[in-house]
Amino acid sequence: MSRINDVGGMQGFGPVPSLGRGAGEPTFHADWEAHVFVINQALLGGGVYNLDEFRDALERIPPQEYLASSYYESWLRAITVLLAEKGVLTEEEMAGG
Amino acid sequence: MSADHAGPATALAARVRQLEALLEDRGLVEARKLDRALEAFLSGASPANGARLVARSWLDAEFRARLLADANATLPELGLSMGGALAEQRLKVIQNTEDQHNVIVCTLCSCYPLALLGPSPTWYKSPAYRSRVVRDPRRVLHEFGFMLDPAVKINVWDANAESRYMVLPRRPVDTGNLDEEALAALVTRDGLIGVAPV
Amino acid sequence: MAELFGPGDLVQASRIDPPHHTRLPRYARGATGTVIERQGRYPLPDARFWQLPAEPEPEPVYTVIFSARELFGDGDHTVTLDLWESYLRPAVTEGWR
Repeated sequence: MSRINDVGGMQGFGPVPSLGRGAGEPTFHADWEAHVFVINQALLGGGVYNLDEFRDALERIPPQEYLASSYYESWLRAITVLLAEKGVLTEEEMAGG
Repeated sequence: MSADHAGPATALAARVRQLEALLEDRGLVEARKLDRALEAFLSGASPANGARLVARSWLDAEFRARLLADANATLPELGLSMGGALAEQRLKVIQNTEDQHNVIVCTLCSCYPLALLGPSPTWYKSPAYRSRVVRDPRRVLHEFGFMLDPAVKINVWDANAESRYMVLPRRPVDTGNLDEEALAALVTRDGLIGVAPV
Repeated sequence: MAELFGPGDLVQASRIDPPHHTRLPRYARGATGTVIERQGRYPLPDARFWQLPAEPEPEPVYTVIFSARELFGDGDHTVTLDLWESYLRPAVTEGWR
């Protein structure tokens, strides 16, 4: 089933956002984004999941949430879903329970 | 302080801290290694790298030919590589010509030659760019203020597999007196993506 | 096993709508294009996602160029995609130009 990430040729997204035009956009907009980035790199490198599994988890995010989430928010969601599905951590633990 | 009272960003930050702590506990990540990985990424990846390749290509026709034929093998000549923390990716450099202009995208996610262009801008990762540039690239270029000559054809490279793409822009006119460093300074990240002429 | 295709060959992208992660974008399904070059061999993401005990055998990936007319019905540009051999079959006729 075609997924929400497969947007090539889709209409309705409006003009290309200006965020990041030219130089000067910070690599990460907040510390937590940087941490998500390197955590993902570490989990991939450590073989906890592979890149296609990670992409699959991103693609499975429900469309409304996929479109409403910021880039690294989606990554965080995909990571937590994968870790829960693989039994590495529980949803409860990750939610702070 | 309870996360309930804080904004979404703070809640996210708390979740990430929690995640990192749990993963450290399980021995799956180490704080120091994470810091080093971040440092390496932030210091190594930059569009200045891509710019150096472009400047050298403008000055040295044989280097240019090697770069176009086998970019991965040619990168080490300038001390560069596509090898990041994960496996080395195949790089393909595509040159803009009088007749053809190139622009890159990853419609399915956000694949990007980080090592040579640095971190990708938010607009590159946006559904708006990803959806529209394959459909109407000329209009997208116009949005960037780039009015490409109508006689020049556009090819859009969708990086949907293991290759990463970088555009080799055309050398601007009246730059004959500039040295390599000065030429490299003319090259922008947007030019390496293809949404700017250089 | 030798590559099925080489530069200059006409190929047609699969029409399959898979229930899983894939790297063939919807906008290219069923489209006919021309192979520009061979990229080497890589494991098929669709198979890699399933995380079978062994990594899937790498298979050839090709850079394939399509006209915008073929993909979308109009436009004067071209789009290239990197396609695994599993996504392709020999084309019977040329696409729209």
